[in-house]
Amino acid sequence: MSRHTRATLEPGMHKQLLDVQERLATGTLPQWVLTDPTVFNLEVERIFARTWYFIGHESELPNPGDYVTRWYINDPVVLTRTKSGELRAYLNSCMHRGTMLCTADSGNRKAFTCPYHGWTYSLDGDLIGVIADDKVYGAEMDREQWALRQLPRLESFHGMIFASLDPDVQPLDEYLGGLGWYLDILIGRTDKKMEVHGAPLRWVVDANWKIGSENFGGDAYHVAMTHRSTVELGLSPKDPLFTSYGHQVVLDQGHSMSVITKSPKLGPTPPYQGQPEELWSNFERNLTPDQLGVWRDAAVFHGTCFPNLSFLSPMHGAGGHAHLTNFLTLRQWRPIGPDKVEIWSWFLADREAPEEFKKESYKRYVATFGPAGTLEQDDVEIWTRITDASKGLMARDKDLSYGNVMNYVMGLDRVDPDPDWPGPGTAYPTTFMEAAQRSFYEVWNSLLMVD
Amino acid sequence: MTIEGTTELTGFELHWEISQFLFEEAALLDAPDFTGWLSVLTEDIRYRMPVRLTRERKDGHSVDPDAVYIDEDLASLSVRAARLGTRSAWAEDPPSRTRHFVTNVVVRAGDAPAEVAVRSNLLFTRSRGGSTANDVLTGLRSDVLRRADGAWKLARREVVLDQTVLGTLNLSTLY
Ligand code: FES
Ligand SMILES: [Fe+2]
Repeated sequence: MSRHTRATLEPGMHKQLLDVQERLATGTLPQWVLTDPTVFNLEVERIFARTWYFIGHESELPNPGDYVTRWYINDPVVLTRTKSGELRAYLNSCMHRGTMLCTADSGNRKAFTCPYHGWTYSLDGDLIGVIADDKVYGAEMDREQWALRQLPRLESFHGMIFASLDPDVQPLDEYLGGLGWYLDILIGRTDKKMEVHGAPLRWVVDANWKIGSENFGGDAYHVAMTHRSTVELGLSPKDPLFTSYGHQVVLDQGHSMSVITKSPKLGPTPPYQGQPEELWSNFERNLTPDQLGVWRDAAVFHGTCFPNLSFLSPMHGAGGHAHLTNFLTLRQWRPIGPDKVEIWSWFLADREAPEEFKKESYKRYVATFGPAGTLEQDDVEIWTRITDASKGLMARDKDLSYGNVMNYVMGLDRVDPDPDWPGPGTAYPTTFMEAAQRSFYEVWNSLLMVD
Repeated sequence: MTIEGTTELTGFELHWEISQFLFEEAALLDAPDFTGWLSVLTEDIRYRMPVRLTRERKDGHSVDPDAVYIDEDLASLSVRAARLGTRSAWAEDPPSRTRHFVTNVVVRAGDAPAEVAVRSNLLFTRSRGGSTANDVLTGLRSDVLRRADGAWKLARREVVLDQTVLGTLNLSTLY
């Protein structure tokens, strides 16, 4: 594999990472890994630069010339659609002196003209205009050499666009692996597929990015306590186990998906999370009987595509248990520093869904999981508390002399996988389980040790 | 200006009454007294906070027509208020110290006889824990106030923040 980023480990770091590996096998995680600055730099160079990074959805740029600007960690990216309809992702930086070309969030352009000296690039990235070209550079300048820099890899899955800085990264399909089966249910279930509604919501939280990934990846356990205000209000069931029913599925590459079913006491959930009946035959055309079966019983899906893209598909009412409406949100945890994350949140709806349903679904999404969301608010509060409490000498001690390891033992060697689970992955017959979190950190740990 | 349900008010008096309403309303939010705040809303209140985008000048508008941070009515605002009154709304327990600074108040005739359209600027600060840095949000508010039973009430509010990426961990109050 060709590696475009090469950081050598600080003396002692390899041993410390091996130690983390050993700890993980016993269900504990040293607390120092959360906010350690060296680990953070390694994560950027060894994980984010070498895996697939979500940069948007095809429906965000439907027409030729449409563009959106994004951040691949700290690399500014302009993602555009060419005249022939292809998607291209460029480093948002001019080849002459490096000026950022597009500073708007989105728009439409026939070409990208640099405001510094006026070099102009086509949507295909070719350098097509240079002011005073003949006079200053003569015929010997080969314009082809000065095309915009494309991100080495760009691939889509059900309209979700991912890029990678590693030209040799495995194909996206292969990388998603078994997660694709569940993404079929969440995103690939209708003929015309899904579309993003509105611009992504963005906000910055003083928390480490991994906390979001592991929370959405497998933490059904926190719901009854973190979101207890909704229990107090009667919006969520009183049963403290109400999010424990269902399966936690551990997938390859550090991905995971939890499928929560309703408590048997609460009676059946409407099929397909209460999606409008006129879509059912559409689902049935696009999904296998096994996929339909898993979806029919599900109340909530939540999961993480390693490293930092999460999914949530719950059902929420406007108040009380009546008219529970399903929505799908994609969340990206963009690391800004060891203790800072920018949250990007997209909402998606099936193109063929009735307009009324889309509207209601969007309302439920912002009311619960936008930055003002009645559930979202308490999540980020807790994540900042974890981060704030993990920066001191005791939490950061790499010799672990202060007992600074965190407990990830839930379900370790106590719960056997369900042999009858119809989908890919190792499925445990409960969602109160930390196998997904352990797997996330195992993959994270192994990638940090690859030179 | 003639407002139904009032004796004739001069522009000065009307401006004073409306400003006074906005300041008292801000004080309820900062107290915080969300139950009190609900009582100054009309039954048909519509509260929206659309999303601001950075757009090129040629593209004109910088408010996303499709995206919102908040889109609520009295029922959902009541849930929000009730939630903040529970013993487990961790985002606001311990409570932030918030301050709504309301300025640049302009009052114009409304669409209905008992209504006025009010524009104001908002500077919102939030102090949390022992942090010396306040979270800050700024924005433009477009309100409709309605006079009923001798008192003003808030019937519409649209808050457009200036930030495109929010520099506060959550929108845990109202603006
Ligand atoms: S930096 Fe872009 S033209 Fe000079
Ligand atoms: Fe949560």
